Parts: sequence; structure tokens; C-alpha cells
Amino acid sequence: MLRILLVKDLRRARRNPVPWLVSLGVPFLITALIGLAFGPSSGGGVGRIKLGLVDEDDSALTRMLRGGLNQEEAGKYLEPHFLTRAEALAQIDANKLAAVVIIPKGFTRDYLTARAPVKLELVKNPAESIHPAMVEEMAATLVTGLNAVARDLQADFPEWRAIFAGDQDVDLRTIGRLLENAGDRLHVARDYFPPLVTYEKATVAGPPAAGLGAGETRGIFAFLQLGMAAMFLLFMADHAVRDFYRELNLRTLARFRTLREGLAVFVAGKVAYAVAIVLLGAVILLGGAALVFQFTWRSPGALLGLVVAYALFGAGLMGFVAAVAGHERHADRINNLLIMILAMAGGCMFPPEQLPGFVREHLMPLMPTAWFVSAARGLQFGGGPAWTGAALKLGLVGGVLVVGAAALFRRRLAKGVR
Amino acid sequence: MPLLRVDQLSKRFGELVAVDRVSFEVREGEIYGLLGPNGAGKTTTISMLCGLLRPDGGGVLVAGRDFWSDPQAARRIMGVVPQEIAIYEELSGRENLEFWGRIAGLAAAAARQRAGELLEALSLADRARDPVKKYSGGMKRRINLGCALLHRPRLLLLDEPTVGIDPQARANILEFIRGLVREGTAILYTTHYLEEAETLCHRVGVIDHGRLLAEGTLEELQRRIGDARLFIMEGRLDGATPDAWPGFREQFRVIQQSERQLVVAATAERDPADCLKQLLALPVRLENVTLKRPSLNDVFLQLTGRELRE
Repeated sequence: MLRILLVKDLRRARRNPVPWLVSLGVPFLITALIGLAFGPSSGGGVGRIKLGLVDEDDSALTRMLRGGLNQEEAGKYLEPHFLTRAEALAQIDANKLAAVVIIPKGFTRDYLTARAPVKLELVKNPAESIHPAMVEEMAATLVTGLNAVARDLQADFPEWRAIFAGDQDVDLRTIGRLLENAGDRLHVARDYFPPLVTYEKATVAGPPAAGLGAGETRGIFAFLQLGMAAMFLLFMADHAVRDFYRELNLRTLARFRTLREGLAVFVAGKVAYAVAIVLLGAVILLGGAALVFQFTWRSPGALLGLVVAYALFGAGLMGFVAAVAGHERHADRINNLLIMILAMAGGCMFPPEQLPGFVREHLMPLMPTAWFVSAARGLQFGGGPAWTGAALKLGLVGGVLVVGAAALFRRRLAKGVR
Repeated sequence: MPLLRVDQLSKRFGELVAVDRVSFEVREGEIYGLLGPNGAGKTTTISMLCGLLRPDGGGVLVAGRDFWSDPQAARRIMGVVPQEIAIYEELSGRENLEFWGRIAGLAAAAARQRAGELLEALSLADRARDPVKKYSGGMKRRINLGCALLHRPRLLLLDEPTVGIDPQARANILEFIRGLVREGTAILYTTHYLEEAETLCHRVGVIDHGRLLAEGTLEELQRRIGDARLFIMEGRLDGATPDAWPGFREQFRVIQQSERQLVVAATAERDPADCLKQLLALPVRLENVTLKRPSLNDVFLQLTGRELRE
């Protein structure tokens, strides 16, 4: 009987494929857009910032700051060009630089005498938006940091000023003492730097994660597609389960009940249909992504097992909400909202590290979407929870929700609801 | 033994009494019509007969056995044609028939064979492979009917099966139903079309506000009005007071009265010419008097005080 119902529903889905194609097409589109914009093939995020630096002070301190721009970490993000003011402004006009930072004459003197808070001049290229904004943030951070250091080390500044100004021979012992002083003060001040409310969690060192892109240049697509799939598979489960209401409106459910006693087999048929649709969708979304974006799933068997459990969960959850909602239109609205919340809080749409601490530590572990996504990403990249445990939890929750949904539907129909 | 016996069936939805102690029976080879306006309780009655709703009171016997003692056995005997076209529009006519055949318990081969027979009988064989959404209203109605016949039910419950189709399609369906009756099928047929009840049904039950007001053959129901004749008087009747006319109440019964029309029936068997003469002598200004046999609408009018078509 279940097979007869399933074949009938799959035939109907095949004859009216538009809703399914939308659910299948959108994740590909989003993955492709995000992956191509920020993935390895894009050359590394938003690219290096072409920054002009005009050092009108030209002191030992500013030379040190200039040197910092060429260091390894800063070099990943910045492409500094050391220019005169006129050259820099000309290049801004020619749209060759994103921004110019000017260190004004007297910068070191003002800083070390603490006459006034230090200032840097910033000229932004009006033809660009993101890179100049990033430079502005970096400059503000630098100024704030320098002022904070100045307040803490003011007592040593006369000696530092003398060293930078070349007023005395460089005495290495003096420099060593000054550095030791600075180190001690910064160490003591360390406790005052964090904000008043902090959030910390100790993590047990696990096996080293391969990480995105480690030997897997297309890893970002797999990472994104798993999240997208987790969300859009729920949309597919929702659409499949809401077919119950369409059958109610079409009166085909009533016709079924004139021929068969009980509702269990019909509900089971709809769950089987939703599971089948989600599985088909998963094969297309995940298998198709591997083909389109040219990566391989490392544990396809385990991933399939996980998807089966997730499909049962999706069918159960969407069915339960539909049964509670009592009307297809209400179920549609509630489920759309619910799916978005589950996807966001479950780390489907953003990497979990990007989520607020409270969500990441307290809500995410409760989200079945997170069970699926983290286990699936773990299978692909390592370091996630065991997929068997996640599958068991998903299957169990899904089963309970299916039973609940069946009971609710049965009660509604017994009341004569059409 | 009747194939379907309904005894004191009742159903209430909150304050609304949808069906109120309705009793009737349907025999083999008989079409029993349940005639009433929309909202009279016909569909609720059928829903209780086929197990979609549990009655609050009364009982349903199918082939002599209480429906709820073995619902599945009762369902094997009966076929139900809902008022709505309860089929899958994405599937073809053949796929719909085969699917409902499988649900009714037929094996795949048997369902396929029976679907072929029904497609022929319903004159749909040439469109069997087309999706139902491409069918006309009449064709959909025929498939809707066919989907209830896969398992050759001995009792067929038809809930307004000809609603919304053209006269030709309706005539085809009615002819098909007559064929089923000739083969011995018992049919419960709900309708609000007077013509269907008059021409198709062997016996008719008149239902309104959930109550079965009268039942019988067309002749039996007509006799309830009196001597099988009605006089329809038309004219200025807004101030007419039949009770004040001498001897009128002893000779005639008022069926309906409005400002322009007075419908009466003779209380006893009399020569129509005498009746006509007496009516023309009444102290009112008449423009026209016609004589006709009472219809089911007149019966309904007499029972409820309003026309079925209102």
C-alpha cells in the first residue's frame, strides 16, 4: 500500500516539477555566487587593498610602522605603495589606490611628548566603497592602539624620544630596560583589556582539522552546499508534507477514507513521499554540486545515512507543524519562518564561528540542522561530531514528530474538519 | 433485505443539528433519491454512511451488518462518489482509475483490466492517457464516478454527481447510472435537481434542515398534496384572505400564497371543471388560472413553505 501511495505521489511530482526545481536550483545559485566571490578561485576574499602611504615625518618610529605594512600577515591583505603626497593624490585621482594614509610631519614628536592624541590623515578613493572603509577601520584601530600605549608608557617616553631623535648614542642596555618595562606594563595591563563581560569556553584538542581549502581547493563549495542543502531540503520536505492538505482540499483523502479504514497508512505514505523527495533532492543537491563545483564527497555512504535520518526529521517536523497549523496557508508561513530560524541558528547559512557566542554555544547544539550540518561537514573536513550519533538523534526526533503529526491529523479529521 | 438501512441517524456540530434522526433504506436494484437544498444535510448523511464521520446517534446497517462493527467489510460493499471531483489532475484517467482500484484492494492486473472496462463504459477510452486536467467538466465527472466502481460495489452512494456539467454530459451520466441499477446495484443518490429526482429515482426522501420530511415514490409524494392536481391562480392577491371566503377551506388547501399568486389543491377528488368554476367565482380579480400536476417542488413547497430553487 505504501508503495502504491508513494508511486502515485512521485508521479504527480514529476508532472508538476516547478516547485521542486526552484528548491533545487536556488541552493546551486547561492553556493555558486558565494563560492565564486569568496572561494579560493577568487584570489582570497575581497583581494589585497592597494594602499598609499605618505610618510612626511620620516622618523624611526614611522619607519617602523611602514615596515609593519610589509610584514607577512599585513602583506596578505595590503599592497602598500610608499609615495609622496602629490604622487599619492594623483594615483587616487587615477583610481589606482583605494586610500592614502598620510603620517603628518611631527607625528613622532607629538606622540612621544604626549602633547596631543596622535592623528593620521586619510584620503579615501570615492570611486570605491569596501576597501576604503576597511582602511579607515584599520587606521582608527592603529590610532586607538597607539594612544592606549602612550598612556601606559608615558614615563618612558622621554628616553624613547631621545633614542628615536638620535640625541644620544644607542645604548643597548637602555633599550633592553625600556623594552622590559614596556613588556611588564603590557602584561599587567592585559587583565584590563578584555571587556567587562566575557565569554570563554575551553575546547579539548581534537584531531587536526583539514580546514577549508587544505588540500581541497574547492572545499568552500562543499562547505556551503551542505548548509544550503540542509535548509532547502527542509523546504522540500515542507512542500511534500503539505501535500496532505492538498489531498484534503481535493477530497482525495476523503475518497481514500471511504475505501480504507484508518489514517496511519496515508500519513505513512506522505512521510515516505517526503523522505523520498528529500533523498532525491539531496542526491541532486550534493551529487550535483560535486559534479558542478568539481570536488568529491569523502564519505558518501555515511553522508547518505545522515541524509536519510535528516529526511525523516524534516518530514516529521514539517508534518507536525502542518498538523498544528491546521491550514495549508498557515503551515506555509510558519514553516518558512521556522526553516529560516533553524538554518541560521543551526549554522547552515553562516560558518558557526560567525554566529554570536550565545547562539553558537547554547542554541546551536539544540538545532537538528546543526546536528546534520556539523556531522556532514565533519565527514568532509574532519573534526565534527560522529555522524552515527547525529543520525540517531535526527531519526529519533523525526519518528516522534511523525507520530505526533499523525495523531493530530487524525483528531482533526475525526472532528469533521474538511 | 435492504442493502442499506439508516436508522435514526443524527449528527450535531456544536449548536448546529446537521442531521436529525434520519431513517430510510435502500434496496438492491433501486435508486433512492435524497432531495434537498444546499445545506439540508445530504452530504453529512452520506459522510456518516461511508464512515467519514461518526454519527452522534442512530445506526447504519450495510447488508444487514452494523457499519462500525466491521467498517472495512462495509467499505468493500459500497462505492462513494463525492460531490467534489476527487481525483488527481496531474494523473491520466487510466492512472486515476488504476490507483483507486489498488486502494480498493484489487491486484495490479485486475485494476488494469477493470480500468480498461470502465474507460470503455464511460466513453473515455480514447482520452485514457491524457492528464485529467485536460478533460472537460463532464469527462472529469465521469472519471470521478468511475473511480468508485473499480471494486464493483453493490451499494453506490452518489453525492450530487452531476453538479456543474452541461445537459448532454448529465444525460450520459444518468444513463450510465440506470445501467448500473439494471445490473442490481443499489444507489443512494443525493441531489437538489428536481428533474433528476423525478426522472431517475424510484423513491425519494425529502430532506431539509437535517430532517427527513417525507419519503415515498413520486406518486406517493404527489398524493400528499391532494388529488394529484394543483390550481395556480394569478392576479391581484395582495389583500386576499382565503380563510374569509365562504366554504373555501372545506374545498381547497392553500399550498402557497404571494401577492401575485395563490396555489391551491382540492381537498378531495372532484371534477377539475367544478373546481375551476368555483375558483373563478371567488371575490378576487384573477388574470389567469392554470391547472397542473404537482411536482416534487410543490411537495417540497408544501412541506417546507419555500421552493427548492430559492
